[in-house]
Amino acid sequence: MAQSKTKDTSDTAQDVTPDEMRLPLMKAALEHVAFDGWSKATMGRAAEDCGVSSGFAELAFPGGPEEMLALHLQMVDEVMMAELATLDLPSMKIRERITTAVRVRLQQNKDQREIVRRGMSYMLLPPHAGLGAKALWRTCDQMWRAAGDTATDYNWYTKRMMLAAVYMSTLQIWLDDSSDDLADTWEFLDRRIENVMQIEKAKFQFRKVKEKMPSLSRFLGRLRYPVK
Amino acid sequence: MSKVTMKEIPARRLPGDRSPAADLDRMIRVDHAGEFGAVRIYAGQRAILGEKHPMSPMIRHMAEQEDHHLDVFSKLMTKRGVRPTILSPFWDVAGFALGAATALMGEKAAMACTAAVEEVIEDHYQEQRDSLAGSEPELEAIIEEFQAEEVEHKELAIKHGAEEATGYPLLSGAIKTGCRAAIWLAKRV
Repeated sequence: MAQSKTKDTSDTAQDVTPDEMRLPLMKAALEHVAFDGWSKATMGRAAEDCGVSSGFAELAFPGGPEEMLALHLQMVDEVMMAELATLDLPSMKIRERITTAVRVRLQQNKDQREIVRRGMSYMLLPPHAGLGAKALWRTCDQMWRAAGDTATDYNWYTKRMMLAAVYMSTLQIWLDDSSDDLADTWEFLDRRIENVMQIEKAKFQFRKVKEKMPSLSRFLGRLRYPVK
Repeated sequence: MSKVTMKEIPARRLPGDRSPAADLDRMIRVDHAGEFGAVRIYAGQRAILGEKHPMSPMIRHMAEQEDHHLDVFSKLMTKRGVRPTILSPFWDVAGFALGAATALMGEKAAMACTAAVEEVIEDHYQEQRDSLAGSEPELEAIIEEFQAEEVEHKELAIKHGAEEATGYPLLSGAIKTGCRAAIWLAKRV
C-alpha cells in the first residue's frame, strides 16, 4: 500500500492526513531500524519509502522516533493479545498461562530480534526510560489480563512486577539465543517461573502460620464486652 | 431526605482536562477502595463486639451489604481493566483499626463512626452521579443502588445512638476529614 505512493512526491497532491500515515510510516521504518536504530535517519528513510517528505513524517510523529517506537510497541502488544485470545489461557494452570503468554510473545517476534535489540538500547537511554518502563508494564499487564487475573489488591502490582522481572531476564537470553527452536530460552523461562512459584509457596505458608496466631482484637473485645 | 448538591465543576470539559475514560478509571478505583475500607471497618467492629452483642446482627447485615458492594466493584474493575489503588495494604490496616478503636470506645462511638463514614460516602456517590449524568448507565445504576444502602446504614447508626456518643462532634469531624483525605488519595494512587 505504501509503495504505490512512491511516484508522487508532493504532499499536497495526496489526500492522506499525517494521522493516516502513522502506521505505514512505522512499518516502513522497521526495515531500517536494524541499521539506523530508532533515529531521525530511520524516520527520514521511512518517509522516503512512503513517498512523503520528512516534514510530513514529523507531523505524523511530533514526538519523533520515540513516538514511532511507542506505536510499534503498542502494535506488538495488540498482535500478542489477538493470538492469546485464541488460546483460552484461563483454562490452563496459572504457571502455564504465564509461560504460554511469554512464549507467544517471543515466538511472534523471533525474526525481529534486531529490532527488539535496537528498541531496548534506545529505551535504556535516560530520556526514553519512561517509555521503556511504561511499555514493559503495559505488556505485563496485558499478559496477566489475557491470563484472566482477577486480583484487585496489592497482588495486582506484585504479579506484574514479578512477570516484568521474568520477562526482561528471558528477553536477554532470547536476544542471543542461537540454539535450535530457542530451546535455551524456554529452559531459562521455565527456571524463572519455578523461582516465582517458590516465592508464592512461601507466601502461602506464611499466611497459614498467620491464621493460627491468636487475635489481639478478639482479646481486647472480650475485655471490653465480656460475654455474660 | 432529598438534598441538592452544588456543582463546583464547569458543565463542559475544558482543554487539558482529564479524558472521560481517565475520570471513569478514577471513579471505579476510588469506589473500590472505599468499599474495601468499609469492609475493613465493619470487620474491625465485629472483631471487638463479637457475635453475641445485641448490635451484632445489625452490624453483620451492614457488613454483608458492604461485602457485596466490594465484590461488584472488584468484578467491574477486572472487566474494565482498571488499576486498583496501590494503598490497599494501608486501607486494610487503617480501616480495621478505625473500626476496632471506635468499637472499643463503646457501641455508640462505633455507631458514630458508621454514621460519619457513610455520610461522606453518600456525598461522594452523589458527586459521582452528578458528574456522570447519564453517560454510564451501568455504573450509575450500581452507584444509585449502593448509595441508597449507605444512607440506610447511616440512618440505622443514628437510630442506634450515634449522636449520643461522647464527644460526637469531634469524633465525627475527625472521621469525616480522614475519609475525605482517603478519597482524595485513592483517586490518585
